[in-house]
Amino acid sequence: MANARALDKRRKSIRNIKKITRTMELIATARFKKAMDRATAASDYTRRITGVVSDLARAGLEVSHPLLEAPDKTTEATLLVLTGNRGLCGGYNGNALRMGVKTRTALLADVENLQLEVSGKRGINGFKFRDIEANETFTQFDDQPQYAEVEKIANRYLAAYEAGKLHRLDVTYTKFHTVARQEIVTETLLPLGSIEGADTPVDPSAVAARESGESLYEFVPSAKSILEEVVPTSFRIKLFKCFLDAAVSEQVARMIAMKSATEAANDMIKDLSRTYNRARQSQITGEIMEVIGGVEALEG
Amino acid sequence: MANIGKITQVIGSTFDAEFNADSMPAIYNAVTADIDAGGQQRKLYGEISKHLGGGRVRCVALGSTEGLRRGADCVDTGAPVSVPVGEETLGRVFNMLGEPVDGGEALDKAEKRSIHRAAPAVSELSTNTELFETGIKVVDLLTPFVRGGKAGLFGGAGLGKTVILTELIARIASQHGGYSVFAGVGERTREGTDLWLEMQEAKIGDTGRSVIEQTAMVFGQMNEPPGARLRVALSALTMAEYFRDSTGADTLLFVDNIFRFSQAGSEVSALLGRMPSAVGYQPTLATEMGALQERIASTDKGAITSVQAVYVPADDPTDPAPATAFGQLDAFLYLERSISEKGIYPAVDPLASSSRILDPAYVGEHHYAVARKVQTTLQRYRELQDIIAILGVDELSEEDKTVVHRARRIERFLSQPFYVAEVFTGKSGEFTSLADTIRSFEELCDGKWDHLPEDAFMYVGAIEQAEEQAKKMAAKA
Repeated sequence: MANARALDKRRKSIRNIKKITRTMELIATARFKKAMDRATAASDYTRRITGVVSDLARAGLEVSHPLLEAPDKTTEATLLVLTGNRGLCGGYNGNALRMGVKTRTALLADVENLQLEVSGKRGINGFKFRDIEANETFTQFDDQPQYAEVEKIANRYLAAYEAGKLHRLDVTYTKFHTVARQEIVTETLLPLGSIEGADTPVDPSAVAARESGESLYEFVPSAKSILEEVVPTSFRIKLFKCFLDAAVSEQVARMIAMKSATEAANDMIKDLSRTYNRARQSQITGEIMEVIGGVEALEG
Repeated sequence: MANIGKITQVIGSTFDAEFNADSMPAIYNAVTADIDAGGQQRKLYGEISKHLGGGRVRCVALGSTEGLRRGADCVDTGAPVSVPVGEETLGRVFNMLGEPVDGGEALDKAEKRSIHRAAPAVSELSTNTELFETGIKVVDLLTPFVRGGKAGLFGGAGLGKTVILTELIARIASQHGGYSVFAGVGERTREGTDLWLEMQEAKIGDTGRSVIEQTAMVFGQMNEPPGARLRVALSALTMAEYFRDSTGADTLLFVDNIFRFSQAGSEVSALLGRMPSAVGYQPTLATEMGALQERIASTDKGAITSVQAVYVPADDPTDPAPATAFGQLDAFLYLERSISEKGIYPAVDPLASSSRILDPAYVGEHHYAVARKVQTTLQRYRELQDIIAILGVDELSEEDKTVVHRARRIERFLSQPFYVAEVFTGKSGEFTSLADTIRSFEELCDGKWDHLPEDAFMYVGAIEQAEEQAKKMAAKA
């Protein structure tokens, strides 16, 4: 039987770990609620604006915008991988990283120049460990990504895209569906047109309008000026949504990871307590036996 | 004229006898008493272990005391128990008294030696240190045996001590030119019989002679009274000592199980009137173990290489009996239940086991470096296990993930198919040369085989076989 004192020491250290994981679980829960509120708020707006843009594109108008059209060639691409700054969130970072590496390999086969941009310390270190140097790294995004920060990045992409220095932008992040379901996805954000499709909710009236050949929208002063404003905004919002989703998913992942860690610690404490009690009892029994044996031997 | 006394008291497996106070038999002398139990005549041997004063002596019975009566005659033989030694003992099976129990003829003409002898003097001991290759990866890499040294197999109930011991006999004795002596101490009689039959079938190299022709076996199994179990190791050792001293040959001594020797000592200790010591063992535990182990030594005349199984009660290595045996050994393998529960055999704990010669001075820098690397990797894995249990493997740093990844492969690669376990594993035994072993583990630590699935490493010899097994598994899937 193992040493009772050593068992007790181990049990104490696991109790301490449990305290930490339990606290982190509570913090993650609070943060998750906040992040989720922001994400839900943003998602309505995103859905609407995406709907508008796609409806505009489907409206069959004689308008075009460079962001909506795929460039002739795709040689310059950028991959943005969103991970967390902190660990202790189960497989969240590991999964995003694995997907990122996979996507990168796949993209490298297609394009000549691939810029890798990573957000989150975990992802940065992960790529570094695999000897992959990121071209750009961000660590300023935590559980509440600021729109102003994302906008800066988005504007840089837009500028590069318009200047023809960027043909394609992919984002690997953890999409948040529900508390029970998050999914690692890689979405192509640029050119914008490539995301329109089945997953974009379409205003049914717009479809009806297109079928009837008339436009649902009336553009004032002109379709062009409206598009110039709406399309880049749609892109910025989409990118922002990715950051928001990633932040919510991270908190959910942390919440779940810490919950199961606390449970695992509880189980372990239970097991150790049992072993400890048995060790203690057998130690006592042994000592009593020795004392009795000694007494008997002295008497006899 | 024979020195005759009277039995005055019978206490379990000990008895008292009264002799003439002027001619008391010496300590360790053998005495005999005739027993007439239900018409069956037999002779009981006893060994003097205590002088009570006034001509009275206390003896440990070396057989069953059933039918022994107070007042019966007790004859001093004038000498300790002696067993036959020499070439005549080869191929035979004896009991503790040196009487053949294999149904063959008695060895009346053979030279006899007392089972109590002094250990070799300091000046006679051999200082030669040489690695003894077994072809078992975990043994050769982490706990290399010493030629002419002592190796112990520690383990709780049912972890495969006897299997490893028989495997070593199959591996070593069948390639060994010298003599072997097997001592069965307090273990199952059936296992002894199995071993005896196996030895008759097994051939030494390609000489066509069976292993048994070079082996003497001495049994004092579970059914024997404690006195016999206490002394049977000495009987076997006396035979081995003769081979060492008289023929100069390399002699192998296998003991299964040395714990039973301590246990038998504890059984008679209280009856002899000694005060129990820690955990109820005899106060003379260390003395008895020391007296036995010190005799198993290599001298300038010849070498005795011994392999001993040591039962660890309740899986507690701090129990006094295994703990006293620990210090006596050059190499020890500690068998761990958690490893056997994973289905990895031999269930050797690579961190708790060690060897005196795992040292660059003896095994060379390269072997030492690889062994240490394997141990560090496994040690780190063990440290991480609590974290993994609580937080999951995803929380580990990238470096630690690699360590865990490799450690799990190393752990499995330490298993090996045994010749004697072919019926269980369905694989024929593998002899892996030391060079192959070192190379395999080095490559494993360097990450050359990270891509193979874990199961590919189970029960293979050199690393190339793991690769083959991975291919086979892939083909099946």
